Amino acid sequence: MWIRKNFTQPAPDTGDVAHRFLSRRTIIGIVAAATLLPATPALAVQLHGAPEGLYVHMLAHVFYFAALLFLLLILKKKPPGHSAAWRNFRLALVFFLLWNTDTFIVHWLASRLPETAFVGHSLWAHRLAGPLTPTRWIYYLGRFDHLLCVPAMFFLVLSLRRLCRETESRPPTTPGDGP
Amino acid sequence: MTASLPLWPVYIDDFFGGVLMIILAVAAFIYARRLTRIDQENVLWIYIFWLCTALVVLAVSRGVGHILRFLLVLSGHDAAWNFLAPYSGGINTMAITAVAVLTFYYHSMQRVIARVQTDARSLTRAHDALTELNQTLEQRVEERTMELRLSEQKFRHLFEGSKDMIFFCDSQARITDINDAGVNLLGFEKTDEVIGRSLKSFFLDQEQCDRYFRILHDQGHVKEFEIEFARRDNSRLYLMITTSAIHDDSGAIQGCEAIAKDLTRFKEVTDQLIQSENMASVGQLAAGVAHEINTPLGIILGYTQLLEEDFAGQSEVFDTLKTVEKQTNICKRIVADLLKFSRNTVEGIKKAADINGCLEEVLAIVEHSLNMDHIYVQRSMSSGLPRVMVDRERLRQVLVNIINNAHYAIGVEGIIGVWTSYDPEFQEVEIVIGDTGCGIPAKTIGRIFDPFFTTKGVGKGTGLGLSVSFGIIKDHNGSLEAFSPPRQQQFLEAGMRTTFHIRLPIRPEGAHDA
Repeated sequence: MWIRKNFTQPAPDTGDVAHRFLSRRTIIGIVAAATLLPATPALAVQLHGAPEGLYVHMLAHVFYFAALLFLLLILKKKPPGHSAAWRNFRLALVFFLLWNTDTFIVHWLASRLPETAFVGHSLWAHRLAGPLTPTRWIYYLGRFDHLLCVPAMFFLVLSLRRLCRETESRPPTTPGDGP
Repeated sequence: MTASLPLWPVYIDDFFGGVLMIILAVAAFIYARRLTRIDQENVLWIYIFWLCTALVVLAVSRGVGHILRFLLVLSGHDAAWNFLAPYSGGINTMAITAVAVLTFYYHSMQRVIARVQTDARSLTRAHDALTELNQTLEQRVEERTMELRLSEQKFRHLFEGSKDMIFFCDSQARITDINDAGVNLLGFEKTDEVIGRSLKSFFLDQEQCDRYFRILHDQGHVKEFEIEFARRDNSRLYLMITTSAIHDDSGAIQGCEAIAKDLTRFKEVTDQLIQSENMASVGQLAAGVAHEINTPLGIILGYTQLLEEDFAGQSEVFDTLKTVEKQTNICKRIVADLLKFSRNTVEGIKKAADINGCLEEVLAIVEHSLNMDHIYVQRSMSSGLPRVMVDRERLRQVLVNIINNAHYAIGVEGIIGVWTSYDPEFQEVEIVIGDTGCGIPAKTIGRIFDPFFTTKGVGKGTGLGLSVSFGIIKDHNGSLEAFSPPRQQQFLEAGMRTTFHIRLPIRPEGAHDA
């Protein structure tokens, strides 16, 4: 049917087509000139101010928080294993979750503290100035975030080491197998 | 002075924490890489590997940032740190985002893993099943083949070994397969001679044939249906047939399978029994009539002889009286025959006799007469036959009767065959007298032993010869049978059209040793 339609279609009148083509080109040219001649400066490239970096970083922490929470829920719902390795893995995730919360709060509080909150010219002389409100105390304690992320990484290493031992002690799995 | 908090513990925490993070992240990366190397195709390990890689980037970027800040600020290069800080922060953001993306991706990975695991288990099961099947396939095929062979042998044995006729027909009622018993019953020698023939061609009675196929078509089976088939030699074959139609999926008849039992012998025996009963009845009647007629006949004969003496001089009257006397004597002989048939006559003494000798004595008397009509006797007598307890006179009478009948059946030019044999199983001597005459029609062969049944013209036979012979042989506890055509191949090959078989036990009840 398709072939018949194509073969039975009469040959186009070339003179007519050329005439139509020239007309279309003329119209397009007029429209383009009318659009471009009165153009104002382009707004296509968005400018990024200084706070945007902080917001992106904080949003990344929110994103990471959500991902960790989601992963913990998944692991609880469908645990890939019940050995100590996976317990350590979950513990690592919990510490990462806490670290993430901590860093988000610290970033947020840092953006709210005035420049006068920090005094001292040398590294050793740097201090968080008073008055020591609860906010400043939270900020100060929150700055010790490595007390959360180092244990998180430590439990992750423990988990992976145990997984290595468990995996080495059993035969290789088929493609796609979980632990 | 307002209270303040020193920040150097925070920087110390950042410095050493950053170092520890880098060390631990690298350690985690190494373990993750080891996991992927142990099992390179494990998708979960691959995910953990990339997670650890992102964490290494995060730890290095963040840790190095902290260390550099500590060192640069401590050394008074605050400007340098201010230049580097955005880069460190940017990389941190990217690393955190990457870790988050990978973590979110874990769920999808887990679903993929579950699906792959399911598929892998299915494949493993299928593989195991196929392996097992492959390993046992040959054995299974062999076992099934053996079972099939045994089953086929069993049914083949049943089919081939059955003494009843078993056959199969196609939709056109052509025989497609038949067992050896069936081939023999139909008078053929090879199965190929029967296969392809129409079942209808064996029916003697067209009406019976139509009824058989009508029942088969209407009911799908025929049970214990008595039919008469014609053998190859046109002899009659009585069968009791049970047939089942074979249907295809649409219910159309594709053919039939049948088992037929030979009732020929049973029918003959039944007919003989009926005949014996008839003859016994007729014999009793004849005996009564003969006894009553015998006395008046004796008186008629006595007075006729007295009158012959009185009219001895008058030739015309004397001749008439002679005719009366002659006819009266004929009547007396008929009455005597009737009495013999009914066994009311006094039995002769049975003595041990040589059957071949008896036959020779009879043949010596009749052979001349036979030869006059170009009828020749073909002897095939077994030597060393045991002697049989018989009444020689009465046995001679039987043999003469049968040979005379053979003579009548042949007319001129022919052969009368005489065979004798001994059957040690039944301890019987058999005498077979056959002829190449016209044969006995199937319709009349059942009646030939009936009293007064004759095919001869008026005045040529009384119809008592075979009846009397039958009675005499019965008297000897033997049997007398007629076959037309003969059943046994040897008689057919000798050209016989009819055979009479006399079977005599060598020691009948009530016999006395000579």
